Amino acid sequence: MKTISIDQLPRVEGNGGVIATIDGNVVSEVKFLVNEGPRLIERLTVGKTPEEDVSIAPRICAICSVSHKNAALRAMENTLGVKVQPKVTLLRELTHMGEFVESHSLHVYYLALPDYVGFPNAIAMASKFPFEVKIALEMKQFGNAIMHTLSGRYIHGENLVIGGFGLYPTREDLVWIKNRAIQFMPFVFRTVELFCSLDYPAIPEADTVYACCEPGDGQYGLWGDEIIISTGEKIARDDYKSLTNEFLVAHSYCKRSRYKGNPYSVGALARVNILGGRLRGEAGKMYKKYFNTRWKQNPLFHNAAQALEILYCFEKLPELVDAILAIPENPPLVAPENKNGKGTGIVEAPRGLLIHHYEVKDGLVSAVDIITPTAQNAQDIERYCTIAAQKLLDSGQEDKIRDRLDLIVRAFDPCISCSVHMAEVKRAPRHHWKKKLAALQAAGPIFVGVGRKDRSDDRVGLELAEGMKELGIKDVYLESEIEEDHILEGLAGRPLLFIDAINMGDRPGKIVVLPLQQLFWNAVLSHRLLPSLTNRLTCEQIKYAYILGIQPESTAEGRLLSGPVRKSLEIILKEIKSPAVPRIEKRAVS
Amino acid sequence: MANDKLKIGIYELTGCAGDALLIVDCEEELINIFTAADIEVFLMAKSDNRHGELDVALIEGSVSTEAEREELLDIRRRAGVVVAIGGCACVGGPQAAFLDKKDWEKNLRKVYGNIEFSHSRPLQSKPIDAYIKVDYYLPGCPIGKDQFLSTFARMVNGTPPELFRFPVCVECKWHENDCLLNKDILCLGPLTLAGCGSVCPDHNVPCFGCWGPTEEANQISVFHLLREKGFDTEVIKNRMANYSGTRITEFFEQFRKEKR
Repeated sequence: MKTISIDQLPRVEGNGGVIATIDGNVVSEVKFLVNEGPRLIERLTVGKTPEEDVSIAPRICAICSVSHKNAALRAMENTLGVKVQPKVTLLRELTHMGEFVESHSLHVYYLALPDYVGFPNAIAMASKFPFEVKIALEMKQFGNAIMHTLSGRYIHGENLVIGGFGLYPTREDLVWIKNRAIQFMPFVFRTVELFCSLDYPAIPEADTVYACCEPGDGQYGLWGDEIIISTGEKIARDDYKSLTNEFLVAHSYCKRSRYKGNPYSVGALARVNILGGRLRGEAGKMYKKYFNTRWKQNPLFHNAAQALEILYCFEKLPELVDAILAIPENPPLVAPENKNGKGTGIVEAPRGLLIHHYEVKDGLVSAVDIITPTAQNAQDIERYCTIAAQKLLDSGQEDKIRDRLDLIVRAFDPCISCSVHMAEVKRAPRHHWKKKLAALQAAGPIFVGVGRKDRSDDRVGLELAEGMKELGIKDVYLESEIEEDHILEGLAGRPLLFIDAINMGDRPGKIVVLPLQQLFWNAVLSHRLLPSLTNRLTCEQIKYAYILGIQPESTAEGRLLSGPVRKSLEIILKEIKSPAVPRIEKRAVS
Repeated sequence: MANDKLKIGIYELTGCAGDALLIVDCEEELINIFTAADIEVFLMAKSDNRHGELDVALIEGSVSTEAEREELLDIRRRAGVVVAIGGCACVGGPQAAFLDKKDWEKNLRKVYGNIEFSHSRPLQSKPIDAYIKVDYYLPGCPIGKDQFLSTFARMVNGTPPELFRFPVCVECKWHENDCLLNKDILCLGPLTLAGCGSVCPDHNVPCFGCWGPTEEANQISVFHLLREKGFDTEVIKNRMANYSGTRITEFFEQFRKEKR
């Protein structure tokens, strides 16, 4: 077994990594790790006042601090029945765009571009691209200047408060923002041309589901009161849990999300894929020029989508300033109407959909739920990494896996303090399956033998199950016995272990233990999966489902197992009878 | 020619990455920062990081996992000078506001259930000086650009940094603001370390205390003053605790004694 590991992924914001394990010809496991410790922010503000909450909650993440602030304000104002004046909303949108300009230009030029032009970092890249490095820095600075002007600081500014603004910006400040935005336009066009025509590798292309805020009125935008999904469905903001369905994994302090059992993506690419047709002006023209079906399948196009959004923001900034200047009076703070209530606020952070939900009782916060974009992307990041690693492995490019995984994770622009450094590739040690099987056995699994009796090695799952029954192992079933769903009911939390022949293109008799979803995500492998696993499982069951797979020699008609598969069967039975003591895993060295 | 530049490492433990980002946000000075010293480690900004001997380690974030504690001990062994940057490293940050271990454990279970984490054991968040000797503290949530650049410039020139020890009120008076406490607004200026440039009061927003507590403050007396103004004891205590991390423990103990 071999592991590709990026223990500390550089050039992302925060601390995380990816570990891919290769067992024979199969990528048997991919873990997106969040090394950040738990901060329990959702518990920190319970019992505090709403004002304290909107001060503390954005401390989740410095990079999206304005997005968190706006999400917190929108949620809290919905909770407390505060309706702010249009000028306040426009000024908040202007602040939000400042963050988009800052975050997107930092990501595309400083974090992503060095990979595509072969430099370790942006400072080194300056030797070959002095102009880009310099002007991109100015663009980022401009985004920061907008945030500084409106919120009071570069990071965690406190000027945006419940009910309005502490201090309104001056006319001079706003006019400066407008003029400066117009000055940047030539470089903004260059940015779009550059990132939309970069040569993005085709691996890892695969379909996924996208989600973002529905801005309403047929507009492109950075917030709304509904969630729109690439399948066409819409979800009201208060029903956000039907999108996110959060769950935990043991290898990360970042909670995960799944929509209808499948991972989904949020971020610039999701917005452009869902709302791109609504872009007008120059951004609309550029969308028509560059957008194609590859954008819908390839997460590396996040970079292109971010460039397009930079253009969208620069076109929108002067319009916003004009709209703000058209309202001369500065509205006073709106006081809260309610001391009790609950409410949700959703915005698009630069890296995707961000949800804040609060409940307030007698003027104090009683419940908090915050769902960050990286937490929603984590599962899809693992899926795309699995697909890419397997495709590269199949095409004999194992040496490229590590760098490609790096590229993929970074394209999602993960904001790791929110959740989650980056890739490591490992080869599984010999007999790796024994350790995994022993661990599963310790958790009291249910075994299900799967296969066809008249297809030689495809019998192995059934024969093994029979053999286990004879040994007196508990909770062993044959495929035919679980056709009645009731056997699987009420077993949530216990691992479900399928036993089947899997064609991995490996030597006959090769044994692996994999999470079942690894098979679902692995297009190549699932085609080789003998047609026996059904769709009977619920999401909850799939989470704890594994497969004990054996490489068949033949699945031609016949009633006998081949020699190597027979031998593997005997080894497995022996192992199940007396499981190996799980050993402590050695720490991976990057 | 021998290289006599300082070797500097910038590390991030658990936090919002705001202090590292603030350094990246020193846009105009960034190239100077990278040329005035050898930036050996800076995960947010570069991929060719060398984890060897360092003259100075700047560490942001609180220690919140077993792995972070080990990493911190390792950095201390390799570094001549350690500077805690930002509220989380200096005092523990908002996440260190659970002072009672039992309370922290209860909340950990509320968020994560009974899951056994496979990658690293969680620890109750603590400032870095709970585990290692810290030479200098650069406070802020996040750190301020001016204070960071002056500290950095002093260090690369071999002079110890000089940081403010007075409260936000001093900066606020420099800016000739009306006192928010006189308007009966719950402002933590008198208790909070200066360095932010009294940015919140400058914007008519009360100080939330995010630079952490100043040692010069008379906490008991401010506490009584706020009580006299009619604020609720719990509300005052909460607000004092939000950004004070483990530093508030002493005050609460002193307060308990006085109450008795």
